[in-house]
Amino acid sequence: MVATVQQEQPLSATPRGTAGTVSHFNDPNIGSKLMAMGVLPGSRVRVVRKSPFGGGCYVKVDNFFLALRKEEADSIVLK
Amino acid sequence: MQDTRPTTKTFTIALLGNPNCGKSSVFNQLTGLRQKVGNFPGVTVDKKVGQTLLPNQSAVTLVDFPGTYSFYPTSIDERIVVQSLCNPQDINYPDGILYIADVTKLEKHLLLLTQLRDLGLPIILALNMADVAQKEGLEVDAKKLSRQLNVSVVKISGRTGEGMGLLKEELQQMVDQRASYIAPQPLFKMTEVERDAAEAAKEIVPEANTYQGLLIAHHYEWLPFLSEAQRKLLADVAKQNGFESLRAQVDETMQRFDKFTPIVRSAIRTQSQGGESTTTEKLDNILTHRVFGPLIFFVLMLLVFQAIFAWATYPMDMIESFFGYTGEWIKSNLPEGWATDLLTDGIIAGLGGILVFIPQIAILFLLISLLEEVGYMARAAYMFDNVMRSFGLNGRSIVALVSGGACAIPAIMSTRTIGNWKERLITILVTPFISCSARIPVYIVLIGFVVPPETIWGIFGLQGLAFMGLYLLGIIAALFAAWVFKLILNTHERSFLMLELPEYRVPVLRNVGLTVWEKVRSFVVEAGQIILVISIVLWFLASYGPSADMAQARSEALATAEAQNLSEMETKNLIASRRIEASYAGHLGKAIEPVIEPLGYDWKIGIALVTSFAAREVFVGTMATIYSIGSEQDEYSVRDRMAVERNPITGEKVYTPATALSLLLFYVFAMQCMSTLAVVKRETKSWKWPIVQFVFMTALAYLAAWGAYAWLS
Repeated sequence: MVATVQQEQPLSATPRGTAGTVSHFNDPNIGSKLMAMGVLPGSRVRVVRKSPFGGGCYVKVDNFFLALRKEEADSIVLK
Repeated sequence: MQDTRPTTKTFTIALLGNPNCGKSSVFNQLTGLRQKVGNFPGVTVDKKVGQTLLPNQSAVTLVDFPGTYSFYPTSIDERIVVQSLCNPQDINYPDGILYIADVTKLEKHLLLLTQLRDLGLPIILALNMADVAQKEGLEVDAKKLSRQLNVSVVKISGRTGEGMGLLKEELQQMVDQRASYIAPQPLFKMTEVERDAAEAAKEIVPEANTYQGLLIAHHYEWLPFLSEAQRKLLADVAKQNGFESLRAQVDETMQRFDKFTPIVRSAIRTQSQGGESTTTEKLDNILTHRVFGPLIFFVLMLLVFQAIFAWATYPMDMIESFFGYTGEWIKSNLPEGWATDLLTDGIIAGLGGILVFIPQIAILFLLISLLEEVGYMARAAYMFDNVMRSFGLNGRSIVALVSGGACAIPAIMSTRTIGNWKERLITILVTPFISCSARIPVYIVLIGFVVPPETIWGIFGLQGLAFMGLYLLGIIAALFAAWVFKLILNTHERSFLMLELPEYRVPVLRNVGLTVWEKVRSFVVEAGQIILVISIVLWFLASYGPSADMAQARSEALATAEAQNLSEMETKNLIASRRIEASYAGHLGKAIEPVIEPLGYDWKIGIALVTSFAAREVFVGTMATIYSIGSEQDEYSVRDRMAVERNPITGEKVYTPATALSLLLFYVFAMQCMSTLAVVKRETKSWKWPIVQFVFMTALAYLAAWGAYAWLS
């Protein structure tokens, strides 16, 4: 993990294509679901693309892919 | 845990795993056609049960549970897993567990395994996708994994069938030596607070272990087997101890990951570096592209639609003519009488009306399950989720709405992939608004009365444009109704997308075939019964009436025929016409005349409205019978006859543009299809929703028809 800008930011705010490491979740409800699906603090995540009609994004997490709504992506905080 | 179970019951094994772990492939491998679909009690979640033969020729029962990520559920599907497993008294409580994990994603698929392991049930871990692992150069030390997790491990492939023999031997061992397959120590260490909450809950449910107690303490608010008093007790305990469910869930999940991640890392050796673009990523660059993605989807759906439309025609024609000829043959070979009529016009016509849908259902599910198997459906749901959600629907609803253009029946059956109950229900309720193929004959007959056969701008036929307009109207009605239901219906379920997009894979044809078989079977068996009954009732209404009326109708018709010197065929048609007028359906038509008069309809149209409840296209046939032109004629001769029909009192034409438009709108919106209602009943498990659907669709149809008639006349 190359340290770039060390600032906490939600996943949805990162530019498309840049990878980051999950720090924590700011919505515990969504967070617990995401963790059960294998998105954990420490996982590498990257927004691959935004969805065609907005409101969601296509995310790569470690070695698998997830479709997330905006509020779901917002709850992932990167370090 | 009780080890002795009544010997009359076969050993039951719960098949569990995360979504996309390849569980259904394994289930199909183990059970083949020895499976049937039932329901979990009280909910609409499908429960697949099958038998598998072990090497010693004894049979065990496999229950395929919905794919689940953890014991902290998001949907009804996942709740079923929790409620069946945390209560040893539950009728679905298994004797053992077979856990399927995708070996290429072991780091996340073992969470649920470690939870299941703590239930005190015997368990086997099957590492699925052994073939893929080999291709990717992934090596797993199964022995090491087994030793460290304290669970027995088998490598298999549900796709190729690899390792199935070993798995069955392992299952037999589990049946024979149940106790040795139970993990001796729970993996998860509870905190003081958790233990207190768990112990309190454990007291309530006989035979529950401490981890089951903890699950009950987490989920007491919705677990159906608890009484109100027990819920209150558990709420009090949680409050006293300061037990916070959400926080405890997160801590438990973290602790489990912390424990099994090092185990997985030590047992796995991989050659891939990660980071390089996979085939899936490359395909998704195009298939989920912001512009091309939706375009490709519509092209695919157009193909599906076309296939249902075009390919299904031939088998459907064959089925129809088969039943037609059988009916004719029986009529000419059996003595005339009510029994023969019941057999031909009631039962055989009814059976034909059921079986004629099989080609459409089979083709739709063949294509849909292919797309699902490949992994494409999750992408479609992802792309359209936002649009659909603004109407209270789900990304997955788009498939049902598009296929509703061919036929609402398979479309409604395809909504089972929608996890959220409210979103699924709304999809079911609004799909019949989409103009299906059965409306086409009705549109063809009526459109000519409203729109002249002219061409504008050189290429567009006005009638064709009107046709398209009717389709658009259906789509608008569906979205509008969905939006209204979104506001009316309540749900406690939170809606999530959070959808895993699985790797694209070559479909397993066995899985596709079994899906098609299961859908066709359940339609014929379950919806078919209702359709058959309604069709017999409609036959009775159209063929019988007060006996004096019927006799009079016949003698009058004969007298007229003699006076006018009609041919045999014309006489037969005239009798049929007079008889339907005198029948109960005719009486019904006349009885509803005051209601439908504001729409511009007479009692003859009333009869057609009643009989076409069987299916919309029956409208044309009924019109043909009423106007005594024989029911074998095509749409155009019916239209020609209708064009000269005049009101006997006023002498005005009956089918004015106003009446015809009003009828068209009625057929766009009205729920004139008993088969759809039967399927909705089947899919929602209650008569409530088909009745609601029938009422609001008919009400909307009535209002639209009334408005159009009032405006034009």
